[in-house]
Amino acid sequence: MPADHDTILTEISQMLRAVLPGIDPDEEITMDTSFRDDLEMESIDVISLAGRLQARYGDSVNFAQFVAGLDVDSLRALRVGELVEHIATALDSPPASVAQVAGQ
Amino acid sequence: MIQVNGLVTHVQELPPVAADPAAGGVAAAADAGPGGEPGAGPAVGPAAESPAGRPVAVLVHGIGPDSLASWYLSLAHPLADAGFRVIMYDLRGHGRTERPPAGYRLDDLVDDLAALLERLGVDAPVHLLGNSLGGSIAFGYTARHPDRVASLVAVESAPATAQWLARVGRQLERAAQPDGDGEPPALTTRGGERGARYAAAVRRLVATTTAGRDLPASTPADPAALRAITCPVLGIFGSDSSAVDLAPALVGLLPQTELVVVPGHRHAVLVTARDQVRRQVLPWLARQLADTGQPALRG
Repeated sequence: MPADHDTILTEISQMLRAVLPGIDPDEEITMDTSFRDDLEMESIDVISLAGRLQARYGDSVNFAQFVAGLDVDSLRALRVGELVEHIATALDSPPASVAQVAGQ
Repeated sequence: MIQVNGLVTHVQELPPVAADPAAGGVAAAADAGPGGEPGAGPAVGPAAESPAGRPVAVLVHGIGPDSLASWYLSLAHPLADAGFRVIMYDLRGHGRTERPPAGYRLDDLVDDLAALLERLGVDAPVHLLGNSLGGSIAFGYTARHPDRVASLVAVESAPATAQWLARVGRQLERAAQPDGDGEPPALTTRGGERGARYAAAVRRLVATTTAGRDLPASTPADPAALRAITCPVLGIFGSDSSAVDLAPALVGLLPQTELVVVPGHRHAVLVTARDQVRRQVLPWLARQLADTGQPALRG
């Protein structure tokens, strides 16, 4: 069953509101919401979010890979949708070890 | 978030990446790191399998607009990939750690680091990495507990001599000015929107805490205590930073220091020359582990 973007977006939105208590409860968080422009997140806030995501989704979602190549500026420039898509793609992919066994 | 020395402290840990059984425990030097970087260097022999046997790296950021983000986005993942347990935290008053109004002398910050390691149950010698004031905190901790530190990497940093502390005070003053033209703290590379945000952050720190007064008034490190530091030291400076002229003093106090100067970079070298810093630090740490017979790093 493909990972549901809506479900992931809802969970990320809840985590964002926990990480940033100042977000207006009436402000909708969508796939297009920008960390920097809409939520005024600093890089440390994005990293705090990543920690919660790691705890929620575990090793099936490789956040090391996600932040690799990102720096302070590009991290903040992310949209929520990019995070949702990364998680959905990772959840839809079988773990590497399973793929290896399947190939033998 | 955990309670450390009475403060609600933001801590991030990356567990050591488990060795790939298919590789027979011998890391392939050609394996790319998460940033596409080539392997850090030759790994000799299998890495220890139990988490308890893994080396611990503790990353300490600097004063001002800095946070654990500067280490998280530079060395943290490569170190975890190489087999380290990586511990990062936000200093008091910074990032997502509580901001008490007082207690920003260097000794207070060293107390916080000591309390953190005790709280996390770290009892084996650690590899400390400090950026700017974070390096001074690392030197301070090592001077207090030389037997608890296996190696020390100092980026744009020096032990807390009176000269260095006065410089930090001036940097804070300049960074807090709206049109400050002094060398910006760790995360800034130039002015513009980012510089303005960081200046605002430093103004808030200086306005709401005693940090601006405490740091320059801190007790300088005792040279005798510094001379008791015998662990390996790697010092990394940007060629164009104002801190690079402290490098001779660092080597004078700690003659075992290996010095690397990154051409064309300034105080934010950890951020602006991330790949070069990785290429210096990872093989250097691998050599320290090999020299002491500790479990080797994965390539």
